[in-house]
Amino acid sequence: MMAWLLRRLVASVAIIFAVVTFVFVLIHLAPGEPCFAGGENFTDPEICRLLVRQFGLDQPILVQYWRYLVELVRGNLGYSFALHRPVGDAIADTVPFTLQLAGTALLLDFTLGLGLGIYQALRANRLPDVVLGNVTLFVYSLPTFWLALILLFLFGEKLRLFPVGGASDPILCPTVDSLYCLVDRIWHLVLPAATLGLVGAAGTARFQRAAMLEIAQQDFVRTARAKGLPEPRVVLRHQLRNALLSSITRFGLTFPFLLTGAVLVETIFALPGMGRLTVDAILQRDYAVVTATALIASAMVVTGSLIADILLALADPRIRVHEDAALDIVTA
Amino acid sequence: MLTAMPRRYELLSILLIVAALGACERRKLCTAPDCGTLVDAAIGEPGTLLPASTEDITARDVAEQLFLKLADVGMSLNTVGDEDFQPVLAQRWEWDGPSTLVFHIDPRARWHDGQPVTAVDVAFTFDAYTDSAVASPFRAQLRRISSVTARDSLTAVFRFRERYPEMFYDAVYHMRVLPAHLLRSVPRDQWRTAPFGRQPIGDGPYRFVSWQAGQAIELQSDTTFFLGRPGIRRWILRFPPDPGVAVTQLVADQADVREQLITPELIERARGAQQVKLYPYPGNTYTYVSFNLRANGDTAKPHPIFSEREVRRALTMAVDRASLVKSTLGDVGRVPPGPMSSLLWIWDPEIRQLPYDTTQASRHLNARGWRDHDSDGVRDRDGQPLTFRVVVPSTSQLRRQYARLLQEQFRRIGVQVEIDELDPRALTQRLVSGNFDAAILSRSNDPSPSSGISQTWTSAGIGGSNYGRYSSPEFDRLVDRAISAQSRDQSKQLWRAAIETINADAPAIFLYALGNVAGIHNRVDNVQIRPDSWASLLRTWRIPHDRQIDRDRVER
Repeated sequence: MMAWLLRRLVASVAIIFAVVTFVFVLIHLAPGEPCFAGGENFTDPEICRLLVRQFGLDQPILVQYWRYLVELVRGNLGYSFALHRPVGDAIADTVPFTLQLAGTALLLDFTLGLGLGIYQALRANRLPDVVLGNVTLFVYSLPTFWLALILLFLFGEKLRLFPVGGASDPILCPTVDSLYCLVDRIWHLVLPAATLGLVGAAGTARFQRAAMLEIAQQDFVRTARAKGLPEPRVVLRHQLRNALLSSITRFGLTFPFLLTGAVLVETIFALPGMGRLTVDAILQRDYAVVTATALIASAMVVTGSLIADILLALADPRIRVHEDAALDIVTA
Repeated sequence: MLTAMPRRYELLSILLIVAALGACERRKLCTAPDCGTLVDAAIGEPGTLLPASTEDITARDVAEQLFLKLADVGMSLNTVGDEDFQPVLAQRWEWDGPSTLVFHIDPRARWHDGQPVTAVDVAFTFDAYTDSAVASPFRAQLRRISSVTARDSLTAVFRFRERYPEMFYDAVYHMRVLPAHLLRSVPRDQWRTAPFGRQPIGDGPYRFVSWQAGQAIELQSDTTFFLGRPGIRRWILRFPPDPGVAVTQLVADQADVREQLITPELIERARGAQQVKLYPYPGNTYTYVSFNLRANGDTAKPHPIFSEREVRRALTMAVDRASLVKSTLGDVGRVPPGPMSSLLWIWDPEIRQLPYDTTQASRHLNARGWRDHDSDGVRDRDGQPLTFRVVVPSTSQLRRQYARLLQEQFRRIGVQVEIDELDPRALTQRLVSGNFDAAILSRSNDPSPSSGISQTWTSAGIGGSNYGRYSSPEFDRLVDRAISAQSRDQSKQLWRAAIETINADAPAIFLYALGNVAGIHNRVDNVQIRPDSWASLLRTWRIPHDRQIDRDRVER
């Protein structure tokens, strides 16, 4: 297990390195200069040259890349051209918001999704299942941005039940320094997390229902019932545990969805997260920020995938990790 | 198991009660006469608040509250002479000869750390703004001031290289006085990234309180401000990612101010909110189609279409600018009489312009040999179709819409236009390298016509922001004379002649000048907006006691 884990970690670092290299080259090749602060509004070429020199952007791309890697190894993510501050500080400010959003959405996704999926499977082809099946299909088909706008319009603008934007009340709670402000922070998270979480939950419910029904046909479930085990035990111990494997796999695949969804949701709900930081940085050709956010995002996705693999190995006794192979399924 | 269940519920109940109590936590309430909190859904988040290092719009709005100018332009926006300027940091001033200006600093002025503001700060500020290492965007506007010195602690002396009508304007408008004692030790090439830019200490009516990156900047009124206590205690700027989100915050009563509503749709949304009052004021931008007079990608050669004056005039006459403005912008926009925003005092609807006349446009094109020889609907000459590409920023919905409308108007006279939507950075690169046929661009003006018009349209601007490389000795001469004219009337006449010259040459089609509409909560009283900088008079705004709402009474 340890050797496998080590190999996975090395592979993860290689993937992150490849992503960083790719993004670094791509953003530097993109047309446009970072020093033109206001788009086509005029920037004095002399000032532009000065700033480019100050930030070392006049060097060949290979030199810039080498310097970037050296600084990266030292733990320095560089300096933001547009934000006028260290990239590390900007990332440190934004990552917690994205993690809060993604974490809450993930929780909603899997608690609600699994619950609905199990409920539907236990009432398969009856009215609640048919109704929920259509509802989840509808929600799953919704584009994230559209759902966000609908929730914002309905619950924020019209009913005024939730804030329409921001991470907290800027008047009372610029920082979380009291219980009230903690509640306020959670209150601000409801609509954005619901946007991401509901779409995910609809998908998880459909996956889980299908998995539950598939497992229900298996011989070992029939045997368990024939042995006279109580129904809750059959469902929980035998049916659900096996059906969870597909959801664990889905868990690993959810991270990229959450991060890309966060870009839209953070923009619509004015959340100061990493998604919004990335979009702004791309538009401003803020090379150091774009590369750093790619680094962090790829690290998050790789970590999520790793966690899913570990959970899968722990959950399924048929899955054994071999020293020689990355991951083998051993038939009993 | 059975006994554990009620305990669990008990614990949950306690947690819920604590949370509820926390939610009902009582805050201190403001009882002072200036109670009030103004939440602004700002245009964007600045990178730094150090005025010398940025021309970001939000940074400018914040700087209006933190850093004083020596004097400021009045509501008339008259930039000629000094009679319409109001004293701010300078208590008074006098002319010591034709090119020497002496300012007397108000002895009551203090930095927010308690240090007095002195003439040394003024001299230091000029030195910093004009230091190439600082790379201030305002450096070019100060080129005609030769020196600023401190005669004594409260007397600053400005010496100019030459005498001209906007000397006073140049001396006071572009610079905000900075604290020498706090910035002297910061290396000049590190000003853009100096920590001072994120935690500034100023001398204005508001003090800096905090900056939550990506979320908000908070300022608090300086109750000891020497020109009088501001009427509203707290000003919080939030940073919605786009105008639509900003208006949503305004409509949902989670913001009090949005200074630019921009499009008719957003204005209508804001108008629908009962607590929002709309304040129209002149805008500082104009938008135009710039023709590249040099060949696309080769500035050494003339452009095969746009180098011909008659063709440019024909294309201009083919566009019904008035109808376009009416259909897309309604009351928010106007057709500019030349390259100017409605902010400029030289705006005059009587300035002669090319008429909308498709018959005359066709005649001009026929005369230049551009006819539809092969009856395919597109004019051609020597086998070359009359077709060109227009670049437009993908981030501007309005300009993208205009591109399509123009495409249709040109099609009617047999001209084919292809549209390239580019992100602003890529578009700028194309403009700078001359790699375009035509572009739909916007320009912002400060209140003086001298800087913007000469920078973008005279020969001196080629290589700078005169991307279309328009060059007319007659226009250049008229602009020079207008800038150096000794009276405002004379200057206005010369500007008119210059604008009529450029209109006749048609290096661009001047499409629209946007007006601004601010949406402001109706509990705010005494709202005064100076068009060039909406927040410049914020300290005079008030929230009467009987109109205050909960957020006005909150004390931190």
